[in-house]
Amino acid sequence: MHHNPIAIEHLCYTYPDGTHALRDVNLSIKANERVALIGANGSGKSTLQLHLNGIILPQEGTVTVGEWPVLAENLRVIRNFVGLVFQNPDDQLFMPTVWEDVAFGPMNLGLRDEELIERVCQAMQAVNIDPDCYGSRSTENLSGGEKKRIAIAGVLAMHPQVLVLDEPSAQLDPRSRRQLIELLQSLKLTQLIATHDLDLALELCDRTIVLSQGQVVFDGKTEYIMNDSAFLVEHALEPPLSYSRPYCLLEHTPLGSALSGRYS
Amino acid sequence: MLLHVGAFHLDIDSKQLTPWHSLTPQTRLLCTLLIVFAIALTPNGRWLTWVIYGLGVLGVIGVSRVTLPVLLKRIVVEFAFVGVVLLGTLFRGGGETIWSWGSLKVTTVGLVVLGSVTLKALLSLLMLNVLTLTTSIPALLNALVILRVPPLLVAILASMYRYINVLLKEFNAMRTAAKSRNFGGSPRWQRQVIGNMFGSLFIRTYERGERVYQAMQARGYQGVPVVTSVPSGGWRDIVSLTLTAIVALLGQAIYLLQ
Repeated sequence: MHHNPIAIEHLCYTYPDGTHALRDVNLSIKANERVALIGANGSGKSTLQLHLNGIILPQEGTVTVGEWPVLAENLRVIRNFVGLVFQNPDDQLFMPTVWEDVAFGPMNLGLRDEELIERVCQAMQAVNIDPDCYGSRSTENLSGGEKKRIAIAGVLAMHPQVLVLDEPSAQLDPRSRRQLIELLQSLKLTQLIATHDLDLALELCDRTIVLSQGQVVFDGKTEYIMNDSAFLVEHALEPPLSYSRPYCLLEHTPLGSALSGRYS
Repeated sequence: MLLHVGAFHLDIDSKQLTPWHSLTPQTRLLCTLLIVFAIALTPNGRWLTWVIYGLGVLGVIGVSRVTLPVLLKRIVVEFAFVGVVLLGTLFRGGGETIWSWGSLKVTTVGLVVLGSVTLKALLSLLMLNVLTLTTSIPALLNALVILRVPPLLVAILASMYRYINVLLKEFNAMRTAAKSRNFGGSPRWQRQVIGNMFGSLFIRTYERGERVYQAMQARGYQGVPVVTSVPSGGWRDIVSLTLTAIVALLGQAIYLLQ
């Protein structure tokens, strides 16, 4: 396990149409950290994540993954090191059956037969998907939560050291979202989670990075920044829902006992 | 939409245990292709040949125990497409004219050609539908790779199979959105709007292709798809291939004996 899996220095990126997606981004992630990456739409979160496994190569500055800089010759080892789970599972589940999709990564690594079957079964069990039941099913007719879990299984099957997730809880119902949170808590990997779901960030991640218009405007403890509503609003965000309502049940309010007596 | 009933669950009879199902997918594919080529390459007018091939195809239908109503429904739909082409063969010149109307002539040659092409289409479609009813598409794609079809081509077919439903859903979503805003009016306007929908669907598909390719690269795709396990054959495969070859040759030979 590399002690400093991600190190980014002075990273800049401009899209071909002139949009400055990233401006002088510096950050470093230690092993086994869970980091939340939050920011408004268009702040550069996805662009930053695509740099981490070499789909976009840095225009200025350096990105170092493990001991390898992100360059064209290191792409194979980098992609084994960093697993990227995309936002839309339909873009990620591209093989006809679930088994083939989860096996895609290990097969490209060169695994066959016994090793392959073991790797795929392990990955599917890690996300609570039964290989016998789901193995030959089509990737088309699954629910959103199942698709998300199988997409994560497909990435886990490559045994990465860093897991990068782009909006993992988008379009999930509350139970699937809860299962996802429990799953991410159980995985002992370095994680970088880009999300709009600030309650998920609060629950899972100790450290938060706030991106605004391509620049890192905050990098520190999650609880600290989630309390600072003025700062969040300035960067087109809001405090998490769990912070905006101080009492969850009416009974807990100062007049609670009297109110509950009236309504029960 | 006009696509087959069952929303793309094509292989409804693939979980049975018959002699046909005990063959490996590549053997089934080879037998089917052999018979279809034999049927299609027979010159027009060789009715006895098609009787023999027809008996062979009916034999396969019987052995594989496919659901006949579904098979017939699919044949009817496919024939609707083929029928338009078939009608054109009726008006071929040559031979005696049986009936004419202006410049259109129905001749004996035309009738022979129509009959031949119809029989060819019918028998080939029957055989191919039995194949798709009894073999799942992933197994068929695997069989193609084993038979040395270029892996990249098979990967393209696999992507097509995977994403055609997604595209249909997107198109239906666009149509529903249009209907919710009272889409109607002159046919010309409607054609224009649907044309625009197809255009935007094309752009979305193109961008989706980019994202899928990025996802494939993210999991180590090198550019060449990998072959999965090869189901091994047995004596049944050899027997069935030999039998198919014999039937094919018999059909051709019957006219040499006359």
